[in-house]
Amino acid sequence: MNETDPDLELLARVGNNEPEAVKEMVSRKLPRLLALASRLLGDAEEARDVAQESFLRLWKHAAGWRTGQARFDTWLHRVVLNLCYDRLRSRKGMPLLEDDFLAEVPDSAPLPEEQLQTQAQHAQMAAALAALPDRQREAIVLQYYQELPNTEAAALMQISVEALESLLSRGRRNLRAYIAESDLAPQQRKASPGRGKP
Amino acid sequence: MTPERFAHLADAYGADLRHWPAAEQEDARRLLASGETSVHETLRQAAWLDRQLDTHRAATPDPLLVRAVLAAAFTPASSSFWRRHWEWLSSLGIVGVGLAGAAAGMLVVSLSLPLTGTPEVLPSIFDHGDVELFQGLDAEENDQ
Repeated sequence: MNETDPDLELLARVGNNEPEAVKEMVSRKLPRLLALASRLLGDAEEARDVAQESFLRLWKHAAGWRTGQARFDTWLHRVVLNLCYDRLRSRKGMPLLEDDFLAEVPDSAPLPEEQLQTQAQHAQMAAALAALPDRQREAIVLQYYQELPNTEAAALMQISVEALESLLSRGRRNLRAYIAESDLAPQQRKASPGRGKP
Repeated sequence: MTPERFAHLADAYGADLRHWPAAEQEDARRLLASGETSVHETLRQAAWLDRQLDTHRAATPDPLLVRAVLAAAFTPASSSFWRRHWEWLSSLGIVGVGLAGAAAGMLVVSLSLPLTGTPEVLPSIFDHGDVELFQGLDAEENDQ
């Protein structure tokens, strides 16, 4: 497996403290880790903290990385997931802060119609994701957004592929139902094929 | 592949067959090519939800975050290289402090012990000949 691990060579260079390798590792992994954390947590600030903490662990383990372990990217996903689990557990009962997904969008100047619509669609999807049960959201984020193979996503979640497929199906049905019932995007509702509710 | 199986997979993995289990992709393509209308409708519905999912933009790293992450790579607390060497140096320091403390302790003990008494209670660092000399001097002073 490690022969095909695309990160091994770069990881070795990071372990030797090569500045260029460190930069390349950040540009290769940071957007991916931040996206994962932000979609799981629904909180931009917490996602930044998780990304930073994940990289601290990456720097710490880079030199000691041994071949024969899991793929490096899988290990990194596991680190982010664990940090996200900790934060989700600590705020059990509190809703996800889906509004934070919009934090990057400047609201001072009036936006063109198309941009407003894009923003509304994004907000609607953020709210729909935030409304999902944690495990369903996690399955969709890993399989759809992170584009992990089903076996890898299932292994990360410590479930069977069948259980992953069940979570994905239920998650997608819930998203469909949420969007159909939402008031935010009437145009999308009109275009919806109107699937059954969960 | 049956249309039911096709629907099950589309429900889970969406409309992009490249995201389906590798072992079932070819069968799924064959079923689509067969002209079975129900599977095309299934795929259309899955594609609609995929488009909705694609409207969600992930957070992107800002320059401040990138700088913080890069800086952490070269600090002793996080860099594996410096951490290893820092820990090695720290352990040397701890050993050094320990040795210095032991030496200081021995000096304090040796200076604070009374010089009178039997040779048995004196620290072994004293030569017994010196002890007898000290005891002899004490005896002479007492006689005076």
